[in-house]
Amino acid sequence: MTECSFGITGKDFVLLASDQSAGRSIIKMKSDENKIRQLSPSLCMAYGGEPGDTENFVDFVERNLRLYQIRHNIELAPAPASAYIRRILAEAIRSRRPYVVSLLLGGYDKIKDESHLYWMDPYGTKVKVPYTANGLGIYVALSTMDKYWYPDITREEAGQLLKRCIDEVKLRLAYQFSFNAVEIDKDGVREYKLDGSA
Amino acid sequence: MEAISMAGTVLAILSKEGVVMVAEKKVTGKLLDLSLTSSGGEGLEAWTGGGAEKIFLLNNNILAGVAGITSDANSLVNYARTAAQKHLFSYDEEIPVEMLAQRLCDLKQGYTQYGGLRPFGVSLLYIGHDPIHGFQLYHSDPSGNYSGWKATCIGANNSNAQSLLKQDYKDEITLEEAKALALKIMSKTMDSTKLGSEKLEFATMTLDPATQLPLAKIFRSAELDELLRKYELGGTSDSEVGVGQGTGGGSGGDTSISVST
Amino acid sequence: MGSPMEMNGGSVIAMTGKDCVAIASDLRLGQQAVGLSADFEKVFPINNQLYVGLPGFATDTYTLREHLRFRVNMYRMKEEREITPKTFAHLLSSTLYEKRFGPYFIEPVIAGIPAPSAIDPDPKPFICNMDTIGCITTPKDFVVAGTATDKLYGVAEGLWEPDLEPEDLFETISQTLLAAVDRDCISGWGAVVHVITKDKIITRHLKGRMD
Repeated sequence: MTECSFGITGKDFVLLASDQSAGRSIIKMKSDENKIRQLSPSLCMAYGGEPGDTENFVDFVERNLRLYQIRHNIELAPAPASAYIRRILAEAIRSRRPYVVSLLLGGYDKIKDESHLYWMDPYGTKVKVPYTANGLGIYVALSTMDKYWYPDITREEAGQLLKRCIDEVKLRLAYQFSFNAVEIDKDGVREYKLDGSA
Repeated sequence: MEAISMAGTVLAILSKEGVVMVAEKKVTGKLLDLSLTSSGGEGLEAWTGGGAEKIFLLNNNILAGVAGITSDANSLVNYARTAAQKHLFSYDEEIPVEMLAQRLCDLKQGYTQYGGLRPFGVSLLYIGHDPIHGFQLYHSDPSGNYSGWKATCIGANNSNAQSLLKQDYKDEITLEEAKALALKIMSKTMDSTKLGSEKLEFATMTLDPATQLPLAKIFRSAELDELLRKYELGGTSDSEVGVGQGTGGGSGGDTSISVST
Repeated sequence: MGSPMEMNGGSVIAMTGKDCVAIASDLRLGQQAVGLSADFEKVFPINNQLYVGLPGFATDTYTLREHLRFRVNMYRMKEEREITPKTFAHLLSSTLYEKRFGPYFIEPVIAGIPAPSAIDPDPKPFICNMDTIGCITTPKDFVVAGTATDKLYGVAEGLWEPDLEPEDLFETISQTLLAAVDRDCISGWGAVVHVITKDKIITRHLKGRMD
């Protein structure tokens, strides 16, 4: 799977970054595909996997979370949303048609004032982490994050750390990626400018 | 509706620090054996030692008081508990209070729309806490309507109690004041002059000081009697309470099934 | 992809002592050789005197935990009492056997102290483990499960002795677990130990080698 994404949390924010390539096998057909989806006002998912599955899965999740919000007038917080998404994957894996989707889920819980980041694989394994990577990023950037991340990391430092990770990808991987990123906090989701990474 | 207006009064009051619920048990007779009924408790214990007659734990964060046909109420309580567990299973969080009230009302509404079936002859008060709206109090009736309250009351004499609540409730009421007010109004609306644990059930929903998580407490007989003595409203001393002595069963022997459809 | 049982890594052990039991797990969760988390607990409380460890395929750890919580909560409110370790073992066993031909890839470990009852006023500490389809084994001394199973057996065999007091049991189970997971690439990254006695539970987190 030629894909790569990162997630970094600080006390009151989450950064999510994903590569923008779309293609099959070793062929890249597109290098500006957005693979980060906003699911609710302060929840985002960076996803990868089998291209048909991903779009279908993310649409399904997005619309069900919206339905929940309309029905109950309550936005699902990141933690219960992650449990819900995990269950979809875990049930699908034992069905006739599993989703081949892995994802990073980043969100901000406005009630508890906490940032949340979850790593999930297509089997429905879920881990709550302070920082993580998915796809090829796992092999080249996790140790960079281990070295530079700390619990009170500021937005600027988290941005620099993200830059380091992306630089590591460029240095160590044969495949050329371009990246986009979002920043999630109490005010919602914004695009995060990655300068000079395209 | 008839059964509900005859049933034992259930009254609940909201405060900033928690919610109080008190319910009247109708005394059935001294031959009723209550030696095996449960005795109340706090937190996890409240699950295994519920009031068993008027006040039920629906989930860790929600208590309900019922008025009406007891067998219908039992069925609804079971439905609510299952619904709460299903929510916990799907979302790994306690069900929000209003959502559980809504789930029960969806069920109750169904029986007002189709012929051949009888609606649930039960009104409920829900008290609970969730991180979204804090402490809450809801009332639902057999038609499937529900509404949120600061203080309300169902069952026999509810209009009396309601006007007393209107008179004495203030927005800044503390938990202790709410407890006292609930018991005071109960003593005024009930027939008997002296209150005791054999005639009442009492519960609170607060936050555990250590964990800040919802803490349900269904008072044991001794705890309730102590509270009643504190407010000088009666209280039965331990020696007077024996097996089957006066602690009633069912919500009155006169719960005729006559619900208007 | 390898076998689901070795995909995420992780180990659990339980031991009996004198009027106490202990259950411990490591904290690693990985994707093959890559470690992802150092705070993934595989042991969960069922009630104040009963714990279950669910090592194996991590998605099934979650699924089973949520399933069991549902079943135990329903049991608690319908029966108006806490489930006993033995009853819980059979509940879990039948839950696993339901999926006989597409099993949960979990080898559970159970540890608890039954509450005294009229029939059994002085109950013995309870430990057991089972395979992925729910066949229960109830040894007297200790049970182990997870990717470091064989190492755990070796060390436990050497260190365990009968009738250990809670603090000694804590020491024994901790040393056993830490020694065993150091020889397993995909277990370790710290550990958590619960010692269950008649009136309290002692929970301690252990630091381990992070490699």
